[in-house]
Amino acid sequence: MIRFEHVSLEYTPGRFALRDVNFTLADGSFTFLTGHSGAGKSSLLKLITRLEKPTEGDISVDNIDYRSLKPRQEPQLRRQMGIVFQDNQLLHDRSVFDNVALPLIIGGYRLKDIQKRVNAALSRVALQHRAHDEPVLLSGGEQQRVGIARAVVAHPRVLLADEPTGNLDAQISAEIMQLLMQFSASGVTVLVATHDSGLLNTFNFPRLVLKQGRLSAQSVSAVNTGIQHQYHTEEQI
Amino acid sequence: MQKWAYTKRGYALAQSLSALKRRAWSSLSTLLVFGITMALPALIFFTADSLSRLGASTVSEESLTVYLKLQTSDLDGAELARSLSTQEAIRNTQFISRDEALAVFQQQANIQDALNVLGENPLPGAIVVFPTRQSLEADTIETLAKRLNALPEVDRVQYDLKWVKRLQSLLNLGRSIGWVLAGFLTLTALLVIGNTVRLELLRRQHELEVSHLLGAERSFLHRPMIYSGILFGFLGGLVACLISLVTLKWLGTASASLASLYSSSFTLGTPGPEQLFLVVAAATLLGLLGAIAALYQPSSHLLPNRR
Ligand SMILES: Nc1ncnc2c1ncn2[C@@H]1O[C@H](COP(=O)(O)OP(=O)(O)O)[C@@H](O)[C@H]1O
Ligand SMILES: [Mg+2]
Repeated sequence: MIRFEHVSLEYTPGRFALRDVNFTLADGSFTFLTGHSGAGKSSLLKLITRLEKPTEGDISVDNIDYRSLKPRQEPQLRRQMGIVFQDNQLLHDRSVFDNVALPLIIGGYRLKDIQKRVNAALSRVALQHRAHDEPVLLSGGEQQRVGIARAVVAHPRVLLADEPTGNLDAQISAEIMQLLMQFSASGVTVLVATHDSGLLNTFNFPRLVLKQGRLSAQSVSAVNTGIQHQYHTEEQI
Repeated sequence: MQKWAYTKRGYALAQSLSALKRRAWSSLSTLLVFGITMALPALIFFTADSLSRLGASTVSEESLTVYLKLQTSDLDGAELARSLSTQEAIRNTQFISRDEALAVFQQQANIQDALNVLGENPLPGAIVVFPTRQSLEADTIETLAKRLNALPEVDRVQYDLKWVKRLQSLLNLGRSIGWVLAGFLTLTALLVIGNTVRLELLRRQHELEVSHLLGAERSFLHRPMIYSGILFGFLGGLVACLISLVTLKWLGTASASLASLYSSSFTLGTPGPEQLFLVVAAATLLGLLGAIAALYQPSSHLLPNRR
C-alpha cells in the first residue's frame, strides 16, 4: 500500500514540483500516473523511492512511515521496491544474467538463490535463452524486459515504472504492459508513470492525473481497490 | 562472472580486478609510476641501517692522540692511560711508550742515521684516547680535548676535528634530505592512487547510480574502489621492491669500492624478507588511504545523492 497525505515538494523555495498530493494505492492495484511532461510524475516516484524528501506531508509504503525512516534504512527500503526506467538503465559491461543478478548481490543473497531467482525472472519475461548474451545484442523491447526482470527479481511488494514504454513502438509497448499487469495480478502494487496516449487509450486502469504538480479532479482519489475499469473518468491526455 | 563474484565482497573484488584488466595499459603505467615513486623511499628504508652503521664504524675509529711531556715516565704514562679509560666520554685508551713510538717510527721511516746523530729517543710517550660513540659529537670532542690538554703530564692533544665534523654533518644532511624526499614521494604516491581511484569512480558513475537506485548501501558502492586502492598499493609495493632490489644490486659494486676507501667492512646489504614485507604493507596502506581520500573528499559530487 502506498499512501500520500498532503505531500508537497519544492526543489527551489516557492516553486512546487508537487503540491498537496493525496492518494492511496491498495496492495495489488495497477495505477497509471499521467500528466504532461514536467507535471511532476518522476518527482512523485522519487518521493516513493526516497531519492527526494517531501517538503511537507506524509508518505507511507506498506505501513512504513517515511518520517521515522533513518537515512541508513533507505537502501533497505529501495530493495523492497522494483524500479523500471524509461531507458532501462542496463549495465553494458556484463551479461543479461549478471544485470538481473545485481539486486540480489546487493541484497546479499546466496549463489543458489541468485541462480534460481534470476532464471525464474528471466523466464517470466521470456528471455531465459538470452541469459548469457550482452544487453547490446538485444532489441529495445527485449532490453526493457530485462529491466523488468531486474526490477522484480527480488520479489518486491511495489513496482514503479517511469515511462517504461517511452522508446518503444505500440506493439512492444503493449507486451511490456501485459508483463507489468501479470505482476500486479500476483499481488504487487504497480504504479506506471506515462504520458503515452496510445497506452492510456488501450488500457483502462485507474489514473492519477498530475497538472503542474497537483492531482487534478479527474484522478481517482478514493482508495484503489485494484479492480479494473471501475473508476475510469478522465479525458485523453 | 566467476561463482565467487556473486557475493558482496566477491563482486567488489571482481569489479576492481576487471577494471584493472580492462585498462591493462593505463593500469600498468599507473603501477609503474607508483612503484618508481615508492622505490626511493624503499631504498632509503633498506639502506638507512647500513648507512648509519657506516657512520658509526668510520667515526668509531676516530681517536685523539695525547702527547705526553718528555719527562713523563712510562709508569706515570700507563697509569694516566688507565685512569683516563675509566672517565666518562672515553671508551678506551691505549698507552704508547716512548720506545714503542720509536719502534713504530723506525719501521715507517728510514731515519736511523738521524737518530744516531741525536743520540737519544726524541719521541714522547703518547696515549691514544677513543671517545665513546655518543661523545663523538664535535662539540663534546672539543671539550674533551681541552680537558685532556689541561692535565700536567700532557704536552698537547692532536685530533682531526674537521674530519669528524664533516663526516657527521654530511651524514646528517644526507639523512634529512633522504627523509624529506621520501616524505614527498610518499605523498606523491598517495596522490597517484587517489587520482586513479577518482578516475575509476568517474568511469563507474553509471553503475554506481544504478546500484544506488537498486538499494545498494554506501559500503557496497565504495568497496570496489577501496579494493582497487588496496590492489594498486599492493602491486605497486611489489614493483617498488623489485626496482629497489635491482638498484641495490647495481649499487653493490659502487658500495664495495666505497667501503675499501674507508677501510671498513661496510656493505649496502640486501633487505631481509621482513623489510620487503614492510614496504609492501606500507604501500598497501597507502593505496587504502588514497582510495579513502578520493571517496571522502569533501567536494566529492561523484557519488549519487547524498542528501
Ligand atoms: N532535481 C531537480 N531540481 C530542480 N527542479 C527539478 C528537479 N527535478 C525536476 N524538477 C522540476 O520539477 C518539475 C517536475 O519534473 P518531473 O517530476 O521530472 O516531471 P515529469 O516526470 O512529469 O516530466 C519540473 O518543473 C522540473 O523542472
Ligand atoms: Mg519524468
